[in-house]
Amino acid sequence: MKMLRWVLPAMALACFAVSASAQEKTGNRPGFTLAPGSARIVLMRPSIRVGEQSTGGMFEPNADWTDQAKENLGRAIAAAQSGLGNAIVSYEEAAGVDSGRVAEYRALFSTVVDSVIVYQFFVGNRLETKKRKGSFEWTLGPDIAKLPGLQNADYALFVTVEDHYGSTGRKVAQLFAAMAGVGMTSGVHKGFAGLVDLKTGDLVWLNADLQMGGDVRTAEGAQRRVSQLFEGFPGRTGSRPVVTPLISKAAVPAPTTTSAAVATMVD
Amino acid sequence: MEADEEERVLRDSRFVITDLKLNAYVRNIFCRTVGDERCKNVRIYILRIPHLNATMYPNGMMTIWSGLLLRVRSEAELGAVLGHEFAHFELRHSLKGFQAQRSTGDWLTWTALLGVNMQSAMIGSFYSFTRDQEKQADLLGLEYLAKSVYPSSVAANIWDRTMAEQDAAEAGRKRKARHSYSAGIFASHPTDLTRSKYLREAAAKQADAGDPGEAAYREGMASWLPEFLHDQIKLNDFGGSEYLLQQLAGDNWTSELLYTRAQLYRLRGNPRDLVSAAQFYQQAIDKGFSRADARRDLGLTLLRAQQIESGRMALQRYLDENPEAPDKAMIAALLAD
Amino acid sequence: MDGARTLILLAIVAASSAASGNKLISPRTKIAVARSPLMVNPSIEWNKLDARPGRNAETWTLDGDALNDVTFYGGIPAGKTLFAEVDKRNRPLPRVSATMLLTDIPPLFENSYRIALDTPLMNIDSVEPMAFAGSKGVRFTYSFTRQNEEVHRRGEGRAAMIGGKLYMITYEAPILHYFDKSLAAFRQLADSASF
Repeated sequence: MKMLRWVLPAMALACFAVSASAQEKTGNRPGFTLAPGSARIVLMRPSIRVGEQSTGGMFEPNADWTDQAKENLGRAIAAAQSGLGNAIVSYEEAAGVDSGRVAEYRALFSTVVDSVIVYQFFVGNRLETKKRKGSFEWTLGPDIAKLPGLQNADYALFVTVEDHYGSTGRKVAQLFAAMAGVGMTSGVHKGFAGLVDLKTGDLVWLNADLQMGGDVRTAEGAQRRVSQLFEGFPGRTGSRPVVTPLISKAAVPAPTTTSAAVATMVD
Repeated sequence: MEADEEERVLRDSRFVITDLKLNAYVRNIFCRTVGDERCKNVRIYILRIPHLNATMYPNGMMTIWSGLLLRVRSEAELGAVLGHEFAHFELRHSLKGFQAQRSTGDWLTWTALLGVNMQSAMIGSFYSFTRDQEKQADLLGLEYLAKSVYPSSVAANIWDRTMAEQDAAEAGRKRKARHSYSAGIFASHPTDLTRSKYLREAAAKQADAGDPGEAAYREGMASWLPEFLHDQIKLNDFGGSEYLLQQLAGDNWTSELLYTRAQLYRLRGNPRDLVSAAQFYQQAIDKGFSRADARRDLGLTLLRAQQIESGRMALQRYLDENPEAPDKAMIAALLAD
Repeated sequence: MDGARTLILLAIVAASSAASGNKLISPRTKIAVARSPLMVNPSIEWNKLDARPGRNAETWTLDGDALNDVTFYGGIPAGKTLFAEVDKRNRPLPRVSATMLLTDIPPLFENSYRIALDTPLMNIDSVEPMAFAGSKGVRFTYSFTRQNEEVHRRGEGRAAMIGGKLYMITYEAPILHYFDKSLAAFRQLADSASF
């Protein structure tokens, strides 16, 4: 039964706020390389959700923010695409085709990446079977190649962005928490970018972090997020990896008491 | 025009009930309440979620939860709730979804911080704003109803029954009725009692008339009622579910309602419940309940209540009458014991 | 849901001070599960998760419990719930009863999921007799989808009432790719159950 363990990303996140060092953010399937100009990559429609976090930590989607983010990220991705070294085309959802099937693969991608974060990137919680040296074995399954529109492509590129910004109520809570010397982090700023080999369905490259930078509701912020998402993208040419500082760490006072840990967990 | 992202995601959701007939019926009630001109700006999604709620988004998307459809008794009552949601849209309130869950979630955080000197007055002010919005929407919703074919007098009924259901749920869990008759500082909605009172006063001023459409609503929901009831009785809320069943039945226990009531008692499964469940199954069968399940469930209930012989007879009869039953191997195995 | 989540997190915080991490389960070795006398003998490697769904339960996985989840329920006594309750006041879970017939087990499981996962999209798809751990038992299949996740999962369970207590093993995974991939490994595990 899930419940208990599916909240681990939140717990992992809370822990990272305290010690970010225990988390990895990038995975590569051993032996995977991609030469510039050698592959056709299809960009799946990004999953984007932006909303507020209420005082209780409940996520409330905000349709306006989501649409702003969708527009900003769309532009930033289009601008970044030319620098990624390979032809990237956007996935065309053919009219009348089962859009639910595509949606389900996007959902599965997010679920797989959540699992990578909790059971591989979060070193202290890594599964024993995932500990073998250099191992990065994660997959969406080979049937993904059967989605209409992917027949002539080599790779599918999935992008998931989910941002929870603090609400007024939550900010007041944080204020009181700060008065009490309790740390309470503000929001989730999740960014996943993953490349899936369409011959096998395997995840060959992944960038995933629950605390990415850049306010996706603004054009500049979205650019920053996208450059972080595609950092280290295989086969990219020209630019050196962008070093983005870890955000919001400094904003969180180090918790010292049990109640402090509890308040942080609520995020 | 490309639909909003939020709505695109919702459209593919497995929780959306796509039945065209149900959607057309519900939409028609909404349109009759607010008028075609307003109605055309709204896209309705019926979600299979067994709790009383409906939400309205600033882009014209409305969600109606199946738990609401189960709880309203007439077209007019459904129109009252949908009119309230639409009023938010027309009043351009900055809307927040998930308010019901939000209030409980909020309590938890605040309680986690209770050791801190909490300035409750300051926090309270954030929420009273929303509470005023709720009242405005209630009253505008009532005006729609008064101008429509439906009578505005029904709007208060929903809140009265909501309170009664909550009391029944608490009693079913052996607790005292707890619902607050005054809104707490964090409550973003007025209490049901306050609501019911001002809605009744406003409706009295309107003094409009009309057919609430109870019979039509029963007919419109007939094919979905068993599904929605099925979701309800599995929530382990005996008191609330029994209250809803009694409301639905009035003085006419149909075979469907009797069967559901039997299921509810059997799920709780106390020795006396099993006796009651067996009676209700039998009554449902006597009233011509259409599905073979009732015979099987009667047998299983009797077996569990240690009425072995009659239980076995019912199960044997189920197998005889349904040689192709999908669970025939399971039932046969129980009989072989 | 999230209020409940907060409580779970609090529980995890409380429990995690004594956390020892996830453990490797080696193949071809008989091992007791769920703090109970129930034994299984796996044919492949599994990971046993440190976090338990409840006092008398334990979870094994290959790639994480969202992708493949085998949960053992080791003799849940009458009056207890299948897994830890997250909101006992508002969403109490149904409880095991000593008088339950085999056919009462799948509905108990279904309703526990519906309440704990807050979804009406949870259904038992088939029920048939099958011996479990040497006793008369039941095999059932199910499928479910959680709100705000939209991943459609399928599951299979085996269970029996033994000495008035519920013993059960379940397996669940996303229908896309994962369910079929490890179904044989689960069935082998379930077949190996003994005391």
